[in-house]
Amino acid sequence: MSHHHHELSELDLYEGDQGKLYSGVLSHHEGGINSEESKKKIKKIWKVTAILSIVTILEVAVGLWAFNGHFHNYGLITYFLILTIFKAYFIVKVFMHLGDEKNDFVALILSPLVLLVWLVIVLLVEGDYALMMNSTFAETIKDLLP
Amino acid sequence: MANAQNTAIDTGNKNKWAGGRSPFNISYGKIMMWIFLLTDTLTFGAFLASMGSQRFNYKVWPDPNHVFNAVPGLHGVNAPLVFVSFMTFVLILSSVTMVLAVHAGHYKDRKAVQKWLLFTIIGGIIFLGCQAWEWTHLYQEGAWWGSFTNAEISTFDKFFNTSRPNVSTVLAEHPQMAMDATHSFFNFFFTITGFHGFHVTIGVILLIIALVNTSANNTYEKRGHYEMIEKIGLYWHFVDLVWVFVFTAFYLL
Repeated sequence: MSHHHHELSELDLYEGDQGKLYSGVLSHHEGGINSEESKKKIKKIWKVTAILSIVTILEVAVGLWAFNGHFHNYGLITYFLILTIFKAYFIVKVFMHLGDEKNDFVALILSPLVLLVWLVIVLLVEGDYALMMNSTFAETIKDLLP
Repeated sequence: MANAQNTAIDTGNKNKWAGGRSPFNISYGKIMMWIFLLTDTLTFGAFLASMGSQRFNYKVWPDPNHVFNAVPGLHGVNAPLVFVSFMTFVLILSSVTMVLAVHAGHYKDRKAVQKWLLFTIIGGIIFLGCQAWEWTHLYQEGAWWGSFTNAEISTFDKFFNTSRPNVSTVLAEHPQMAMDATHSFFNFFFTITGFHGFHVTIGVILLIIALVNTSANNTYEKRGHYEMIEKIGLYWHFVDLVWVFVFTAFYLL
């Protein structure tokens, strides 16, 4: 088992464990965890940590400010949504390493999410419409109902 | 059998879309984890979108600053958003320790993988503990699945920001609508945070298995790579990602 110069044939890789094809054996990470390359990556991880923390603090600070100032408007909602997507972008790209994958794979994972955008719009419009009907039409006809 | 073997070897030279290696250069297991997370995104997205639909269906909605304003050990102190911000921060940090474990796995640094996995497990358990406290607190406030269907206005008006004139008007003139909104709010709150907490629990179990495999069984050294840590890492980051949206939908908007 511990033959240092044992050549792995493609067949070995396929039969036993596909993971070897792509990580560890074939995707080389030269040097140890203290190498320059490794340190650069760790630095990036902490940089993203700082970004995520600062954005969360900005969200909570503005949330409390709006609460104490008693306002709640579309500007505030847009602000929260933009910061949320900003955080999601960094988590997916750096922490989940989607940024390191092939472009086609990124498209495979992200493109179905368009369905969610559609769903959110449809459900919000529908909820709003139901409220409008309840507070206009239903109010008007309620005396006519048995 | 010889033919079958030859076929297997030949796949390396085959066109990628005709059964050769993955066009994405990712292993089957990682692709499937991504696909699973994609479907899970649609589930969580449907939950949050339907909550949005309900919210638009009512003229009023409970205000998170009034619902989530308690901190353990500080009884009666009004501290909106403080405790949940702490929970969010814990989950973000556990995501950082997770990505450091994945990174150590890339370099086959077994000791570092063990260390960061342990930190991630501790973060996950702290988060779950916080959530258990919050659920208990809200339960004591009278909130649960199916609560506020036939309640006095005095039991739920504390969840609303009555300093806003349009809200106080609805509470005075249509208390039924405010009660229905409270009922709906808590059904969604316990369902969505419960489903998320269930994911965190599964994640902690997977991480403990990975830690045992790394430490006692030495599984990944024998296997020659730490890809399993990457796959569990993807799942764990997803749990953090969902919380980012849950945090916005329940506590900020």
